[in-house]
This record gives sequence, C-alpha cells and structure tokens, in this order.
Amino acid sequence: MRSETEIRAELRTFVQRHAGQVAITDDMPLFTLRVLRSVHLPELIILLERLRGAPIDVEQLRMGDFDGIDAMMASFGGKP
Amino acid sequence: MSALATALAQVSETADRLSRLSARAHQNPYTLVDWPTAVDPERDWFGTPEYVSLHGTAVWEGLDDTARRRVAFHEAAGFFSLNIHGEKSLIQGLAARLYRSDLAGAAGYLHHFLDEENKHSVYFGGFCTRYARVHRSRQASLRTDRPRDVDDLLFFAKTLIFEEIVDHYNRVQARDGRLHPLARFINDHHHREEARHLVFGRRLVTALWQAGDWDARTAAEIRDDLGRFVTATWREYYHPDVYADAGLDDPWELAETAWSAPAQRAHRRNVSADCLRFLATAGVLTEEPADAF
Repeated sequence: MRSETEIRAELRTFVQRHAGQVAITDDMPLFTLRVLRSVHLPELIILLERLRGAPIDVEQLRMGDFDGIDAMMASFGGKP
Repeated sequence: MSALATALAQVSETADRLSRLSARAHQNPYTLVDWPTAVDPERDWFGTPEYVSLHGTAVWEGLDDTARRRVAFHEAAGFFSLNIHGEKSLIQGLAARLYRSDLAGAAGYLHHFLDEENKHSVYFGGFCTRYARVHRSRQASLRTDRPRDVDDLLFFAKTLIFEEIVDHYNRVQARDGRLHPLARFINDHHHREEARHLVFGRRLVTALWQAGDWDARTAAEIRDDLGRFVTATWREYYHPDVYADAGLDDPWELAETAWSAPAQRAHRRNVSADCLRFLATAGVLTEEPADAF
C-alpha cells in the first residue's frame, strides 16, 4: 500500500485531469460541484483500489465517500 | 410533451414490428438450457482468446494454453457479470418509464424490452452462480437534478453504447467454433435478442436527439457524459477480481497494464467503431471519447 502522500498526489492528478481549468483543493466537494460525476466512478474506484491494494465494497458506497480528496482519504485511505 | 414521448411516437411503427417479432420469439429461459453439472475451465475455451483483455500483453504471451483457457473462463464470468449489472440498470430505467403518464402509448414494447433483459440475466446468472461467481461492478449512479429530457436521452444513449459493445463480443463468440457449446449458446441467444434492441435503440436515440431542445451548454454536457461513459464501460472489461480468480499476481497493476497496452487500445477502438460512427452520424457525438483508446 502506498503512503498517504502518494495516494493524495495520484488522486490530485486524476481529479485535475477531469477538472479542466478549475483549481482543485483537497477539501473541495468534487461531486457536489460536479467537477466529477457518476461516470467517473468506475475509473476512480479502480484507481483507489489499486492505490490502497484492496477492493472497495461498491454496494456500500455513499456519495459523501467521494466528495473531495479529503473525504476519499477518510473513507478509503487507511488500511482495509 | 416530453422529448421521449415525441421520439417514441416517431418510432412507433418500428416498436410495433419489434413487438411482433418478440412475441414470436418468446422463450422460457428455465427450460431452454441443459446446464452441465460441471465445466472444465482448463480444458475448454469459454471466451474467444483474441478477445481476452490480456491479449497482446507480455503477461498473455507468458501463459501456456491451460492458463490462457483459465483466464478466458474467468473473463467469461466477468463478461457475463458485466451484462448482469448493465441489465440491472437497464431494467431499473425501463421500469421507471413504464406507464409514465406521457409514455403510456409505448408500454407495449417496453414490456418486451424488460422481459427480454430479465431473461438474459437468467442465463448470465445461471452460468456465473453455477461455475464461477457474479463479479461486482464499479458502475454507480449518484442522484442528479438534471432535466427529465436529458435523463431520458442519457439513459437510452448509454443503454445503446453498452449494448453495442456487448453485442460485438456476442457476435464474435457465438461464431467461434473453439468455444464450449454453452458459452456459444449464451452469446448467440443474447445476440439474437439484442439485435432487436439495437434497432430500437438506434432509431430512438436518433429521434430523441432531434426532438430535444438542447442549448449549446446542455449539448456539450451530454456529449461529455456519453464520452466518459464509453471509457467507463470499457474500464469494466479490465477486472482485477477476474485476474485474481485466474491466479494472476498483482491484479490491479495488471488491469492498469492491460488497459494501457497498445494492442488493447486498438482492440477497443475497433470494437467501438460501429457504435461511435452511428453516434457521430446522428450528431450526438462530435469527437472521440477522451481516454477510451
């Protein structure tokens, strides 16, 4: 499993790639602001699984789990 | 009147014709297949080797034939699972529109559509639960406050994209004489019914796109959403759980490697070509989906 710093860096790269000109911060509510949308989830989930080295229970997901890089780290950044 | 009601009225003759064909082809999914007690994933092919997601990668080159058949078997279960999840979303969307106040006149074909999608999942689920497992999907839908016309268009256009890609695999694998008869049957049966859905989907999406009063910003959002959906759909074909079940190491890294492999990029472009050509001709898409190839 990668370090928190590495995971955050990869997530920022992913989000920025889809955000266009919008400047991203780690506490920005990405789905609320529609920087990311449902169609980004498969790529985002597989990226998170790869970074943490463990699967994510897709059936238990809540929108808040993804609504920002901080939120993703809180939900999926730790040890499974 | 909604854009969907207008579009359905325009394709009503097609829907009536397809309804008659569906009624004539009606079958019982519980009696049509004589399921083998067991299958041998290392003896028989359950997926076309050239369509395995690792084909053209160094990992595939390093596997012997037994291991390749094992990967193809688990990938068949992954493909069938992907169909189950796609059809679940489709069934939900069709059921939500069945007898909607402005769509009551179109209920006839929607009933057939729903019925046939449910039956397909009986076959896919029958295979996965008997011989492998139902793999999870990473597709999830978050609530939005989009206008209903936009939701309707996105639902039927995404359904079409999903079915066009699946149908390409079905057609190839139904004809592949190397495959176990059960795998050929499931692919062939699905293809025969999907052929009707694709005729309906292409006509409906064309009419729906023309019926909608899309301003430039909405049209751009629709295009972006559909382009991303092409990429998201393809991502599901590179399933780390499948690789893990097949006994391969580092399944997430392998999924990333396979996704980026030049041979796989070319494969995705080739399989998507008909669908993207249709969407471009209909005016729905104006450029190639970002990141898909």
